[in-house]
Amino acid sequence: MPATKTHVNVPRPYALLAEVTYRCPLHCPYCSNPVAVGSAVLSGEHVAQPSPAPNALSRLRIATARQGRAAHATANDGELTTDEWKRVIREAAALGVLQIGFSGGEPLARRDLTELVRAARDANLYTNLITSGIGLDDDRVRDLRDAGLDSVQLSFQSDQPDLSDEIAGARAHRRKLDVASKIRAAEIPLSLNFVIHRRNIDRLPQMIELAETLGAERVELANVQFYGWAFLNRAALLPTYEQVARAREIATAAKARLAGSMEIFYVLPDYYESRPKPCLNGWGQRYLTVNPIGDVLPCPTASSAIPDLHFENVRARNLDWIWRESESFTRFRGTEWMPEPCRSCPQREIDFGGCRCQAALLTGNAANTDPVCEFSPNRASVDAVLRDVSSSSDHARKWTYRVNPKLLAYL
Amino acid sequence: MCSGQCSMRFIVFMAANPISDAAQPRIAKGVRLQVDSATGKTVLLFPEGIVELNETAQEILSRCDGRTLSEIVSDLAEEYDADPATLVADVRETLADLQQRKLIELT
Repeated sequence: MPATKTHVNVPRPYALLAEVTYRCPLHCPYCSNPVAVGSAVLSGEHVAQPSPAPNALSRLRIATARQGRAAHATANDGELTTDEWKRVIREAAALGVLQIGFSGGEPLARRDLTELVRAARDANLYTNLITSGIGLDDDRVRDLRDAGLDSVQLSFQSDQPDLSDEIAGARAHRRKLDVASKIRAAEIPLSLNFVIHRRNIDRLPQMIELAETLGAERVELANVQFYGWAFLNRAALLPTYEQVARAREIATAAKARLAGSMEIFYVLPDYYESRPKPCLNGWGQRYLTVNPIGDVLPCPTASSAIPDLHFENVRARNLDWIWRESESFTRFRGTEWMPEPCRSCPQREIDFGGCRCQAALLTGNAANTDPVCEFSPNRASVDAVLRDVSSSSDHARKWTYRVNPKLLAYL
Repeated sequence: MCSGQCSMRFIVFMAANPISDAAQPRIAKGVRLQVDSATGKTVLLFPEGIVELNETAQEILSRCDGRTLSEIVSDLAEEYDADPATLVADVRETLADLQQRKLIELT
């Protein structure tokens, strides 16, 4: 790749995901946050990966071992300050961003969240809060609404209190029900977000019913995507083919039944597809993520999935340069980087070769075709995982709960 | 925190009932109509979604303020000197599409 490139046709971004903290009171085993968040990773000091990549677990062990050497970080060590976030928000709006999602971790763990929402509204952004709801009391709901919050996406783990709390690794379900009613009372539009996996997929009808009961405008039924903690816990989370087929029927029927009253947004389980998802609508085309310490990512999972890519930080560079010029955003932008079979594929501008993080995690090379694709020479690696799902017993499917970075630092 | 954000394009829109002449379409709760300063075009903003409006949709939506479908059609017919009978199908189709996406509500 040449050292300098001109980027005459750089698209403008539409949405910024602001991961304001990695702290979270929940411990969901499917969290897409990085498994290792310590000063080694946070400072961008990546350990070179053997190539081709070892299997998933050994990669994660490397990350954990690296974490073990990390300095003792405090809970919010290194997080961007309020003023830094406000600057990021202004720079994003100037770049063309129209939407911001406040996410994490649990964004409510930041006491300055209301101030950040107000700054986003001042910059004319559509503001989403993507939250577990824990920490949302009457005062904060009112403050957020008054600051101009446009929408809340509230996560639920299932419809059942016991199962939900088991998945979250915390007593959270009943508090979430209470939070949902507070959001409704404040007349803030409500989406319910469910991450769907082996342990809750059979409860799909009841989960949709819960969303109806709680008066949600929208429900997101997202089959778990395997990054971060979800990748670590894949064997425990991946549903069977039969479960997936049933879920699809249920979601399709519910979508028809509720058309015009509640929007159902169903995210496919991509391992079971024969073509890859059009991840991010193309790398560096529409989305950018800023993580808690200010690294700017084309995708929230890129920092852990693609360790050989260097990510820029908002403390050192402005967002405009990072979006247009940085290696992390230009490496996979467009179609020039594509290998075969993508390069000559008629679908290349439709699915963009799938997901770079998935290619990195499953094949050891982020520039490969997403191995979910039936034309990928690595499709067998996905099929082997799917075969394994139907052959091993449930007994062997214990998951590892997500832990907060401050705990990890003491491993 | 959610693991599904990268797959936003997997949406299937289902057909719904036709919209009656007396229906009063309004921009739905949680949806914002705004001018995109980067392009000067009008957009609808909603959770994890943006729709850029073509001129027809923009003209229709700017009239979704309590007017009925037939009032919107006759307004547009007058403004553009068009035949209401041919216009109505376009308006109905645009509104039905927006309704299925929950971007407008009917009262």
